[in-house]
Amino acid sequence: MGLFKSAEEFETMLAGFFRVVASREDIAAALLRSGLVIRFSYSDPDVIIVVDCSGEQIEVRTGDSSTKATVDMSMKAEIAHKFWFGKVNLMQALTRRQMVAKGPVPKILQLLPAIKPTYALYPQYLRENGYEEYIIY
Amino acid sequence: MLPDFFEFHAPTRLVYGPGLVADLEAELARLPVRRFLAVSDRAVADLGLLARVTRGLADAGFDVVGEFFDVPPNSEVRVVENCARLAAELGADGFVAVGGGSVIDTAKAANVIASLGGDLVLDYSGSGTIEGPLLPLVAVPTTAGTGSEVTSVAIVYESDTRTKLPFSGTALLPTLAVLDPELTLSLPPGLTASTAMDALTHAVEAWISPQASPVTDALAARAVQMITGTVETAVDDGDDLETRGILLIASSLAGIAFSHAMVGCVHGMAHAAGGLCGVPHGVANAILLPHGLEYNLPAVGPKLADLAPFVGADTHGLPEEDAARAVIGSLRALGARLHDKGALPARLRDVGVTEQDLAAIAEATVMDGTSFYNPREVEAGGILEHLRRAY
Repeated sequence: MGLFKSAEEFETMLAGFFRVVASREDIAAALLRSGLVIRFSYSDPDVIIVVDCSGEQIEVRTGDSSTKATVDMSMKAEIAHKFWFGKVNLMQALTRRQMVAKGPVPKILQLLPAIKPTYALYPQYLRENGYEEYIIY
Repeated sequence: MLPDFFEFHAPTRLVYGPGLVADLEAELARLPVRRFLAVSDRAVADLGLLARVTRGLADAGFDVVGEFFDVPPNSEVRVVENCARLAAELGADGFVAVGGGSVIDTAKAANVIASLGGDLVLDYSGSGTIEGPLLPLVAVPTTAGTGSEVTSVAIVYESDTRTKLPFSGTALLPTLAVLDPELTLSLPPGLTASTAMDALTHAVEAWISPQASPVTDALAARAVQMITGTVETAVDDGDDLETRGILLIASSLAGIAFSHAMVGCVHGMAHAAGGLCGVPHGVANAILLPHGLEYNLPAVGPKLADLAPFVGADTHGLPEEDAARAVIGSLRALGARLHDKGALPARLRDVGVTEQDLAAIAEATVMDGTSFYNPREVEAGGILEHLRRAY
């Protein structure tokens, strides 16, 4: 039994957060410069979210398993949740296969400095959108 | 200081002995393989080294159903695919790789496709994407540098993007590594020096890696000591079997160390220089090692200073930063002495790199997978400055 009540809840929660991130000009600029299409495949519950930075604006699409992604990231939903609190050592998670990254991993890693401010945004987003119970880290 | 976390996983069975390839029956007896595809290169075959191994396999009752020689100095995706195809056509149920890093990496990557199917780049590039089990792979190194016989990594060149792609995963670890120093007696001084400096770079970068652990430190430090203490003798007297053995073992120790701790920007620059300008990997590492360490000095001074006893640097009474600089100085002096013996080039300009290439090499270094494991953030401007010094 995972942390989240349902796939729908987790999908709405995380996709909503990604849209908030995409609306932040400073972060969005770095993401758009990368031109990456990143597919996040979560398990327990099973959810797919694509963050498409290949156009003029960032698009966040749920359930998109057909778009060709530059990088596919797979992980448990709980690991993803912890990551956005800034509590996951990415190097360690990749070593332990808590995260599996298919594609040019260095391109993802280049984004880490840019997304650092999101770690503070995440608990704030959860609080403001009725997900207080998940502020556990 | 202990790391928050580390793991150590070295399941490759490693055997050492002069002349060992003539009799591998005991080591192969329990492997689920009867039909080997031999992977090698023309030079190794022409020297008769491959024949020594295949004869040993035949004497032990194993079939070598085919030989694949088409391995360039830097393995390529196309080569790997051809190798995997041949393995399938011949019904091979195992690989034996006899050669340097490119040969062993080719066999590793071909084994992925032969065992699991799929597209090498699309399906298996990245981190944690290769799930075994793969067919048994016996790795017999004929150089003492790459350590590929004991690592979970394979580097394959992609000509479309002119990049060296890393593939990693414990499934890539060879089943058996056979260290027979007699196979390295024929290495000329230049290759002896460059491959040894490659191994030395593995060990030094593993030592300063943010992923280093007490286990990798033990292996890396011993490897550094063994290589710095013997490489000049091996260059002077290539027939010294004891020295050859020390370098071969040290190369494996360094390989096990960096397979866990990974490598950093020296390798990043070397991969970029190799991909963009064709600089041989060991030569690039030999030239760039002191420069990469200087780049990293602000992040690793105390740890680098601790390496002093293993490189023979007298740092008694020196402050940490001076001691770290003395370690870099010792490594630079070793490279210079090998250059004086005619065994190594000294500068990037001597190996086909132009001044105009440097910026592209710096950019490619940032994008190289090793930048993730470098102790200091890999930033193009700083790297370019050090590349200019190496030029």
